[in-house]
Amino acid sequence: MDERFTALLTRFLPARGDRELTHDTPLRDLGLDSMQSIELLFAIEDEFGVSLPDDDLTDTTFATAGNLWRAVSAATETQVGAA
Amino acid sequence: MPEQPTGTGFAERVRCVLTAVPPVPDATACWAALGKAGVLAQAYRDGRPERGVDPRRLGALLAALDERGLNGVTLAACVQLATVLPLLAEGVGSGPAVAEALARTLDGTATTALAATDEAAGSDLTALATEVRAEGDELVVRGAKRWITNATHATWLLVLARRRPGPHFTNFSWVLVPADAPGVTARPADTDLFAGSGVGHVRFDDVRVPADHLVGRPGRGLAGFARHIAVERLAGALWAVALCRRALDAAKRSLTARDGLWQLDGVRQRFATGLVEVHQLRALAASLAGRIAVDHDGTAGALLKASVGPTVNRVLAECAHLHGAEGFTAGGPHRLRAEAEVFGVGGGVTEVVLGGVADQADRLLAELADWESVRESAP
Repeated sequence: MDERFTALLTRFLPARGDRELTHDTPLRDLGLDSMQSIELLFAIEDEFGVSLPDDDLTDTTFATAGNLWRAVSAATETQVGAA
Repeated sequence: MPEQPTGTGFAERVRCVLTAVPPVPDATACWAALGKAGVLAQAYRDGRPERGVDPRRLGALLAALDERGLNGVTLAACVQLATVLPLLAEGVGSGPAVAEALARTLDGTATTALAATDEAAGSDLTALATEVRAEGDELVVRGAKRWITNATHATWLLVLARRRPGPHFTNFSWVLVPADAPGVTARPADTDLFAGSGVGHVRFDDVRVPADHLVGRPGRGLAGFARHIAVERLAGALWAVALCRRALDAAKRSLTARDGLWQLDGVRQRFATGLVEVHQLRALAASLAGRIAVDHDGTAGALLKASVGPTVNRVLAECAHLHGAEGFTAGGPHRLRAEAEVFGVGGGVTEVVLGGVADQADRLLAELADWESVRESAP
């Protein structure tokens, strides 16, 4: 996970505190609720200039930091790389 | 594209258009006249709903509607302007059906109801039960919606439906349903408030529509709605300012018409308190309008919405009181108070919205410490 992603993600995790953000970190446990997930989606798409594909719009994608990063990095490779 | 008058010129044009509409509670007649004159499109930046509302013109349009004193008609227009048209515009790539609904709603030859609130879930949209499933080249919609503005006279219904189980925000989509499709049943809500708004309850019994009636991308229904709810809250605030101004104006005329009342200190102070509150609401709306209209800032929308309900409640209660016994006249200030309760309920009840404000406490406290972060833009 790159720093830009973790810095952005942290803004939406009010319960993170001093806990380390790993690939397996459950985002819900760190305070990511449904409305915050929506704001996070828009923030990611604005920051990285990508649109997450329909197949990645699932609760699994938003379950952990690693899952979300994989979706973002894949979208970045295919969309930004193709631009 | 119609010409784009600004400020007072636009407000005068809207008033001129509305002058030709009979003063009866008929939301479709007003909508048709405004659409035909091209002023609905002018409520958006560059005349394009996908670019977001122009707060100044939207405020002028809602104020002109409010001057007619037909709250149901204003409510019906407010929902379409703030939410329906932008959602249709963003989903116009879905196919010709959505494009037609957008074009005809914008030119006033049709109306589209926003069917979001579910029979089962109330204001918790993640719990809604109305579902949409794909069958071949069709979508099948099943469920029920309650308290839907424009329900009984709409040409189309823009339905928020569940595409798979679970509360996650990615489980919902928008579906465009023709109101005359087999399986759609709309009945008026049991209320004598909001005359002309067409508020009602709608059932969808295995309603089949072509697959291109999916509006926008699948799984982005709730996200799209969340993005536009802030705009609906801005529209509500702009309308609330106009409505409170109308109520205060009527109260002052009533007080000055009764010998000596307007000269009593106690009366003047009560009136002035209401006047101050409305100016505070207007100032808040002005300071947040840009963040909401351009950035769809949900926190700004929540902040504004949390202020609207209590302000309207207090101001209209004071106005009704200042009318004395005359306040109980049919269609008078106490009826206005009852209808204005919608400002504390529609678009999220005040208590829920305050919870959203509390969630953003750190950010909002930081803004108070930094005036430069508040970008001003007058509505």
